[in-house]
Amino acid sequence: MFGGCRMINLTIDGKQIKINKGVTILKAALDNDIYIPHLCWDHRLTPYGGCRLCMVEIKDQPRLFAACSMPAGDGMVVYTDTEQLRKVRSTVVELMLIHHPLDCPVCDKAGECQLQIMSFKYGANFSRFKGERKNAPEDTGSPMISRNTNRCVLCGKCVRVCGEHQGVGAINFIGRGFENVISPAFEETLDCEFCGQCVDACPVGALGSKPFKHRARSWVLESYDNICPYCSVGCTVTLDLREGEILRSRGISTKGINKGDLCGKGRYGLDFIYSDARLKTPMIRVDGQLKDVSWDEALKYIADGLIDIKNKKGADRIGAIGSPRCTVEDNYMLQNFMRTVIGTNNIDSSARFGFAVFNQAIEMAFGIKRLPIEMDAPLGKNVILVFESDVTSTHPVWGLKFLEAKQKGSKLIIVDSRETKLARHAHMWLKIKPGTTQVFIYGMIKLAYDEGLYIKEDAEKIENFSKLIELVQSYTPELVAKITTIDKDDFLAAASLYLTSTSRIITLTIAAAENNKGFNTIASACDLTNFLGDGPKALQSPAEYSNTFGLWQMGIAPNIKPGGEKVEKPGKTVYEMLYKKDEIDALFLMGEDPLITYPDLKTIENVISGLQLLIVQDIRLTETAKLAHVVLPASSWSEKDGTFINSMGRSQTVRKVIMEKGESLPDWQILNKLSKVMGQSLGIDNLKKLQSEVDDIRIIAGDKRLRYIAAPYVEPPVTAEYPFIMVTGNSMQHSGTLSVMSKSLTHVFSDAFIQVNTEDALKYGLVDGSYATLESIKGKTVIKIRVTDEVSPGVLFVPVHFKHVRVNELTRIAEDGTAPLALVKLTPIK
Amino acid sequence: MICVSVCMGTGGISAGGDKVFHNFEAELLKHDIEATVNKGCSVHQVGCRGLCAKDVLVDVIANGVKSTYEHIKPDMVMKIVEEHLIKGAPIKEWLVKEDYHNFNAKQMKVVLEDCGVVDPEDIESYIERGGYQAVKKVLTTMTPLDTVETIKRSGLRGRGGGGFPTGLKWEFAVKNHADQKYIICNADEGDPGAFMDRSVIEGNPHSVLEGMIIGAYAIGATKGYVYIRAEYPLAVERLRIAIKAAKEKGFLGKNILGRGVDLEIKVKLGAGAFVCGEETALIASIEGKRGTPKSRPPFPAQKGLFGKPTVINNVETLANVPQIIKRGADWFASIGTEKSKGTKVFAITGKIKNSGLIEVPMGISLKEIIYDIGGGMEDELAFKAVQTGGPSGGCIPASMIDLKVDYESLAAAGSIMGSGGLVVMNEGDCMVNIAKFFLEFTQLESCGKCTPCRIGTKRLFEILTRITEGKGRKGDIEFLIDVCNDVKATSLCGLGMTAPNPILSTIKYFRREYEAHINEKRCPAKVCNALLTFTIDKEACTGCTMCAKTCPASAIEGDKKKPHTIISDKCIKCGSCFDVCKFKAVNKE
Repeated sequence: MFGGCRMINLTIDGKQIKINKGVTILKAALDNDIYIPHLCWDHRLTPYGGCRLCMVEIKDQPRLFAACSMPAGDGMVVYTDTEQLRKVRSTVVELMLIHHPLDCPVCDKAGECQLQIMSFKYGANFSRFKGERKNAPEDTGSPMISRNTNRCVLCGKCVRVCGEHQGVGAINFIGRGFENVISPAFEETLDCEFCGQCVDACPVGALGSKPFKHRARSWVLESYDNICPYCSVGCTVTLDLREGEILRSRGISTKGINKGDLCGKGRYGLDFIYSDARLKTPMIRVDGQLKDVSWDEALKYIADGLIDIKNKKGADRIGAIGSPRCTVEDNYMLQNFMRTVIGTNNIDSSARFGFAVFNQAIEMAFGIKRLPIEMDAPLGKNVILVFESDVTSTHPVWGLKFLEAKQKGSKLIIVDSRETKLARHAHMWLKIKPGTTQVFIYGMIKLAYDEGLYIKEDAEKIENFSKLIELVQSYTPELVAKITTIDKDDFLAAASLYLTSTSRIITLTIAAAENNKGFNTIASACDLTNFLGDGPKALQSPAEYSNTFGLWQMGIAPNIKPGGEKVEKPGKTVYEMLYKKDEIDALFLMGEDPLITYPDLKTIENVISGLQLLIVQDIRLTETAKLAHVVLPASSWSEKDGTFINSMGRSQTVRKVIMEKGESLPDWQILNKLSKVMGQSLGIDNLKKLQSEVDDIRIIAGDKRLRYIAAPYVEPPVTAEYPFIMVTGNSMQHSGTLSVMSKSLTHVFSDAFIQVNTEDALKYGLVDGSYATLESIKGKTVIKIRVTDEVSPGVLFVPVHFKHVRVNELTRIAEDGTAPLALVKLTPIK
Repeated sequence: MICVSVCMGTGGISAGGDKVFHNFEAELLKHDIEATVNKGCSVHQVGCRGLCAKDVLVDVIANGVKSTYEHIKPDMVMKIVEEHLIKGAPIKEWLVKEDYHNFNAKQMKVVLEDCGVVDPEDIESYIERGGYQAVKKVLTTMTPLDTVETIKRSGLRGRGGGGFPTGLKWEFAVKNHADQKYIICNADEGDPGAFMDRSVIEGNPHSVLEGMIIGAYAIGATKGYVYIRAEYPLAVERLRIAIKAAKEKGFLGKNILGRGVDLEIKVKLGAGAFVCGEETALIASIEGKRGTPKSRPPFPAQKGLFGKPTVINNVETLANVPQIIKRGADWFASIGTEKSKGTKVFAITGKIKNSGLIEVPMGISLKEIIYDIGGGMEDELAFKAVQTGGPSGGCIPASMIDLKVDYESLAAAGSIMGSGGLVVMNEGDCMVNIAKFFLEFTQLESCGKCTPCRIGTKRLFEILTRITEGKGRKGDIEFLIDVCNDVKATSLCGLGMTAPNPILSTIKYFRREYEAHINEKRCPAKVCNALLTFTIDKEACTGCTMCAKTCPASAIEGDKKKPHTIISDKCIKCGSCFDVCKFKAVNKE
C-alpha cells in the first residue's frame, strides 16, 4: 500500500518536518514537539476523530481538518494555532463543559484531568449556554471500576482500548446524540477482565479505579517507576504514593517495554505488599508453635542447625530452593551461600517444571543456553501458531501483541483445548486433546517432508535427521487427527498455512502451573523449527515470572553456575529434594511455596515432614512456612532495590519506593548475615558490591550446533474410571499464589472453580455453581463447578492459585520433571 | 383490449389502492369480461406516478383510449366497470381534471419514465419496456473503462445530496486494485418528507438493479448491497422479488449473460438511523457495527466495506445509469444546465395543492415547480419559502422564487440540492419554528460521536426553543450564527456540517421574524403559542363547551350555550381550544 518508508516533507507552524508517508498530521506534530490539543487520540488505537479539538488549518484548503485522522501530505503547510482555531477550540471546550457536571472537588481525576487542562488552556472564562445536563447515577457495582457517565466526554478511548486493543469489547456506546452513553451491554454492571486499561485511557473522571477512589488528590501524589513483579514481560509500572503508601499503579504511554499497557495484575494486584499475611518478625518453632524471635536468635538457630547437619551428615544433605520472584541479587546470593558456605549444588526452583525443561530442550536442539523472546515477535508475521498456551492470561501485555498482529493481518492459529482469548480472535481455532501438541507438530514435520516444504540440503545436514524422519513417518494426517481429535482437514489447513508461509512463529508457554506440555512438546517444536530452517527465534516461549530468566542466569539449578557454566558434580533437583524421601535433612526455601504451586502435594508434605530443619524465608506465612522450623521475614518487591531480568533477557532495575514491612530484610541481606553468623563472610558489604559481582558473571554461550531431539510421543494411559483430563494453569486475574494476597484481585474472584463443558455437565449431573468431588489416583478434593463451553468435552480446567482447594493433591510428577495431565473424575455432591 | 392499471405505490396503497385493485379483479371476473374480450384484459399494479394527492389513480385503457380516474375508492369500482367497461361510457366527473395534465406538462421523466407503467413485481414487464438492454450493451460492447468514460461524459452527479460526479467516483474505485470490491446502493432515505428513492424502488426496482450491475461491471465489483430502510417494507419486498427474478433471468449471479461477470446483490436493512445515509456510517452499519461515520481519508473508494474499495451510489443516481447507457452520454448531457446535467426527482410536500413525486430537468425555476407543477398554494395563502435538501438544506424565500434549481444555484442561496425533498411553506409558517423543527430532528439523529454535533445541535435546539417560548435574549441571533459557524467548521461528517443550515438560512432571509420573537415577544406567523394571547370571539362562540372541556388548565369559563371566556392568568397557551373550536371563535394574536 504505502510504499515502505517513503518520506515526505511538510511544514507545521513554519517548522520543516520530514516523516514517513501515511503518518497523520497529529503524530507528525507530536513527534516534532509541536503540541496539538487532543482528547480522543491514543497511540495504540486507530484514529477516531470524535473530540474535534485537534482541528488544524491546511493552506489552500477551505475547511478545517482533524489532525488525528488526516494523513500528512507532501508539501502540506499546516497551521495549528490560528485565531480561527483558537475560536473553534474554545467553542468545543465550552460545549464539553456545559455537558459536564463540574464536580471537580469530588473527582479523583482533578488535577490530571485532560478536560480541566483543555479548558484552562483553550476555554473561555464564562459559558454562554444554559441547558440540560446529564444526571445519571454513578455505577460502583463492579469490583474494580466505577463509572460516572455524567463526566464522560465520549472520546471513546475506553471503548476502543477495550475492544480494539484488549480484544474484549466489554463496553460500547449506547443510544445516539445527546443520549449517547458508554455502557456495558444492556446497561448492566460491568463484568469484564478488569484489566483497567479503560481507566488509564479515560481523559476525565468518568472511569475510575475503585481501590483508589477518594484516597488522594492527584497533586499530592509522588510518582516512581518500577518493574511489575508478576510475569516475565517486565512492564514498567508508575506507582503513585501518598505518605509513603502505594495507592495506585498506572501505565504511561512513553515508558517501558509496555508503553502504557498494563494488565489487571500490574494495575490492581500490587497491593499484595500490604496484605495482612505479611511477616514482620523472624519466628522459631517452639513446642510446635511458631514464636516471634529476634534476628540474632533466628540466624543463630539456623546456623547451628545447618552446621550440625553439614558436620554430621555432609553438605549434600542440605538443599535450597530459590524464587523466580526474588531479584537477581537475592538469587545470586542464595546459590553463593549454598555453594560457598554450605558447599553443595543442591539448589533448584520451580523453574525445574518449566523454564529448565525449555532450556534443556533448546540446548539440545540449537546448542544455545538461552532463548529470549522478542516483544514485537508476533508483529509482521504471516502466520502465528500458538500451542496450548493462554498467553493473554500468563503474559497479558505480550499477548496484546498477538491481537495487534492479527489486526494488522497476521493469521493467528490457536491449537488449544480451551477457548482462550486468543482462540476467540483466531483465524483458526483447533480444539486439540490436551497434551498432544507433540503429535500435531510431528504431523507437520511429516507433511513438510512429504510435500517438500523444507530446504532439503539444510535440513539434512542437521544431526539425527534420519532418526527424526523415521520417527515422524507414522504421523500421517489420519493418525494426527485420531490422537489430537482435530479434524483431519483442519489439521491440514492449519499445517499448510504455517508450512507455506514466509514469516512465522510458534508460541508456547511452559510453567509449573501448567500440565499440558512437557519436554517432548518443546522438543518437537524445536525439531520443527530446525527442520524448516527458521532459526531458534521462530520459537517464542516466554519465561514464567518476573525473574525466572534472571534466576536461571544466576545458576539456581543443581547443574549450572551463574552464567551457565556446567558444574562438575551436579546437586539434587527439586524432584529429588521434595519428592524422594530421605534425600536431604535441611531445606532452605526462599520465596517459594511448594505446597501450593508444585504438583503432588501429598508426597511433598510427606517429605517435608521428615526434614530435620525447614527454613522458610518469605514475605508472608505460606502454607509451607506453617510447617517450618524457622520462618524469616523477607522484604517484598518495592521494599528493596535490585534487578529483574525479563523474558526478553533485559535487565531492569527494581526500586525501593516504600519502607520495608516490620523487621523484614531483603533476601540477599538475610543470606549475607547468615553467612557471617556461620563464620564465612562472603565479602559483600553492600548492594553495589553484590551487583558488581553479578555484573562480572561471564555468560556462557552454547556451541550453536543444531540437532534433532526426536523424542517419541508416549500415549498417556486412559482408564474408564477417570474419564476427564484435568488441565491446570493460571487464570487471567491471578498469577501463582502471589496475586491471592492482593485484596483488589480477590475482589474479582477468590474462590477456586473447575471448568466443565456443558455436555459433560449434563452427562454427569453437574450443576453450575454447585460443588463436586474431584478425584484422581493421587487424591481427592471438593471444588465448585463452573459450566462453560470454554473447555472441550472430556477436558476440565482448574486454576491453581487457591490453597483451600489443594488441587495439586491430585497431580503428579513425570519422569521428565514436568507435571503430566491428571486423569480425574468428578462426582456431584448430593 | 382492456387494461386497468391501479397505482400501488405506498401513497396509492395507503389511499386504498389494494382494495381498489382487488375489487377490479373481482368485478372483472364477475362480469366475465376476460372471456368476452378475448383474454386481452388485465389488471396491473403499478408504482407511484407522482400525483399522490389524487390517489388512488386508476388508468383504464379501453378500445385504445386511456382514461385516468382520480380519488378512486373501492366502492366506486363497480360503477366504473359497469359504466365504462361494459357500457363504454367513462364516468366524466371522476376523471382527472386539467390540473392533472398540468402536473405532468412541465416534467421530464427519465428516472420515473417507467414508474407507474411497469409492474414492479414482474420482470417481463420491465424487459418489454427495454429493460436490461443497457446491461446487455455494456457487457457485450463496452469495456469497464468505456463505461466509466460514458458516465463521466454524461455529467451525472450524485443524487443523494452531495452532487459528486458519479463517473469520477467510479474512476477512483477502478484505480484501487483489490481482490474484492463492492458496490452499494444507498437507499437509506431519511429526510423528513422525502420519498423519491422509495418511490423509484417501489415503482421500478429493476432500473436500480440494472444501474448497479453496470456500476459493478465498471469498477470490478462482484458483490453488492442495497442498504435500505426497514421502514420501507413494500420497497424491500419488491426489491427482493426483483433480485430473485433478475437472478433467474441471468442478469445477476455467476457469469452474467455468459460474459464471465459475477455480481451477487444482497439487501441490508437499516434500522432507521438518519446518519446511516452518510457513506462511512452506512458501511459501518453493513459491517454489523454501530452506524457512526469515520474520518475521511481513507475514502470508501480506497478502503470501504470490509476494508475494500467500495462505491456507494444513491438510488436515483443508479436509476439514471441504464438510461445514459441506452440513450448515450450526449443525450443526458443535453438536459439541464452547464454543470448540473439531467433531471432531478423531487418529493414536493407542504402547503401546496399537488403534493407528490415529480421529475424535472435541472435548471427549471422554483416558480415553475411550485406554481405550474405543484398547482400553487393550498388554501390560497401566500407562498413564503421553500426548504430544499431536508434538514441539511436551507429555506429559500419567496423573493427568490425565480431561482434555478441546480447544484450551484441552490448552494449559492445557502441551501443544497439534497436528495430531493421540497417542503413548501406559506405565510402561516413561522420560520423560527421551522428551524427549530429541523434542529430537533438533527439533534435527535446525531450519532453522538463528535462533540460539536452531539452537544452543539442540542444547544442550538435549546436556544431556538427558548426563543419560540418568548425567552429570547438580545444578542441571541449573533450567538446562534456564531455557534452555527463553529459547529459547521468542526463537525466530523455531513450531518453536523450541514445541521446549522436551516438556522443560518432562515436568519439570512427572515431575520426580522427572529427579531420579532426576541425583541417584541411576538410570533408574526401566529405559530409559537407561548407568544400568543388566546381570546374567544363572543359573537362566534356558540357555547358548545368543547373548549372548556379540552382546556388542560381549566382556564375557560362560561355557561352552556353562552359565550365563553379565557382567563388569561390561567391560560398555559397550549392552543388546544383553538384546535377544537368548530366555529373559529378562538382567536390568537
